[in-house]
Amino acid sequence: MSRGFRPPAPPRLLLGYGIVVAGLAALPWFTELTVYSHNLMTLAFLSIAGALAWNWMGGFLGQVSFGHAAMFGVGGFVAARILLAGPVPAPLAWLAGGLAAGVFALGAHPTLRLRGPYFSIATIGMGEATRLLFTYWEDFTGGSSGLSLPIQTDMKHHLYWWGLGLVALVAAASWLIRHSALGLQLLAIKADVDAAADLGVSATFYQDLVFALSGAVVGVTGGMWASYFSFIEPNDMFGFDRSIAFVLMAVIGGVGTVLGPLLGAVVFVLLRQYLLASYPQLYLGLYGLLLIFIILFEPLGLTGLWLRLWRRLPWARAEA
Amino acid sequence: MAILETRALSKQFGGLRAVDRVDLVLEPGQILGVIGPNGAGKTTLFSLIAGSQAPSSGEVLLDGRRVDGKPAYKLVRAGVVRTHQIVRPFPNLSVAENVAVGAMHAAGRAHGPVRDRAVEVLEFVGLAERARAMPGTLTLAGRKRLELARALATAPRVLLLDEVIAGLNPSEAQALAALIRRIRDERGVSIIMIEHVMPAVMSLSDRVLVLDQGRMIAEGSPEEVVRNQAVVDAYLGESHRKASA
Repeated sequence: MSRGFRPPAPPRLLLGYGIVVAGLAALPWFTELTVYSHNLMTLAFLSIAGALAWNWMGGFLGQVSFGHAAMFGVGGFVAARILLAGPVPAPLAWLAGGLAAGVFALGAHPTLRLRGPYFSIATIGMGEATRLLFTYWEDFTGGSSGLSLPIQTDMKHHLYWWGLGLVALVAAASWLIRHSALGLQLLAIKADVDAAADLGVSATFYQDLVFALSGAVVGVTGGMWASYFSFIEPNDMFGFDRSIAFVLMAVIGGVGTVLGPLLGAVVFVLLRQYLLASYPQLYLGLYGLLLIFIILFEPLGLTGLWLRLWRRLPWARAEA
Repeated sequence: MAILETRALSKQFGGLRAVDRVDLVLEPGQILGVIGPNGAGKTTLFSLIAGSQAPSSGEVLLDGRRVDGKPAYKLVRAGVVRTHQIVRPFPNLSVAENVAVGAMHAAGRAHGPVRDRAVEVLEFVGLAERARAMPGTLTLAGRKRLELARALATAPRVLLLDEVIAGLNPSEAQALAALIRRIRDERGVSIIMIEHVMPAVMSLSDRVLVLDQGRMIAEGSPEEVVRNQAVVDAYLGESHRKASA
């Protein structure tokens, strides 16, 4: 009966998923990870979760947002304010930050009438407006001097597993969305919004829904980010380069693919560490070049490269 | 009672009246043909009925209730669906998935899982073998069948067909005409069809409506309409009258 439809999760995929997640969760106990790599992996998890969630919007729905830092910052500052207000368990504060960010994303509703480049330009404006608003709202964000969070011992260490848990959740959600009725409708809207409406799909409803979900996940990562650094500042949290980072991670990995943004985020984080250390003046320029090359030669990013290599392998050809 | 009716339905684009006070009546189980020269406002009429565009004035009634001004997706759920003259499959979805998108919005009118209903519709239109194919690999006739299948999957009560036969070779055209008849006879769908292929219009339609420059210039049985002098002048031409006489 599944002819022509995307198949349900094959056991092999589930098994692989379980092994990878369990393996990463157990990794710090089996090998002596340096503090540096332990922390680098934690930051990578947060980036991966954000990139996967951005892809629901930019990849599945085809609305490329250059303003996701707004939700990242809202999530971060709401979580920080809650943690500063009293002894609340950190995960609850992150969740509240995520909810706030999801609701905040709904404020972008008017921009969703726009499509393609027009939508992207509007999100740049929304993102920058949000950044300025929060920079001047000193009572809430502390302005340019930012907020310092109460130091919790071991929080940085434990965030490895919280981050991993979030990635596991968001990766599973990405796969489920892509293979569900929701995903089909998102892809239909992406292909032809009017034709989708002529078949009963309410584009505005699904766009709002996905923007809110995507924003909520990014908000949660913002909260975790705040806990990780114990200090946040509006110009960094809401920074435009953060918004661009979401786009870059997805493009490097493969926009619209299920797991491409995951690969893209890993490459992005590693590359940034290396470039920032070695060529601090050049690093943004190098990203620009990378983006141009990918879009020109392999629009599906690493995923497209992988598919291309896979088809050249002898057994893949025999199967086809 | 008529299943679908329009009253003085009009659409103004600047100084142009694309649709000008059209009163159309579709009885349940009927096929209503809409003919007229290019630019007569046929497709705009469909857009107004299906909710793709809001009318400037006038009413659209479904089962006697006003539905004009409602967005397209709500009309689909109410049971009115259109196809497009230039077919618009989702190129990123398989044939079966294209149909499934429509099947999700059958409101209460259809039962069973979306997947089963999509498969049933694909079998009905004769595309079951191509379920896994991508739309880009279908022939034009195949894409027209897909366009029909997607619309049928929404379990419509009123189906608006915009030139599904035009552009096909004679044998494909006959097959598609037979399919349209089966949609009415076996699925009980009332149909309005815009079509330039006169043999198909003549054999399928219970009634025919003729538009010229946005206005209805004739309405009646196919035989009455082709003998109407105004229709001959505006659309069919003298040779057609001689041929059919």
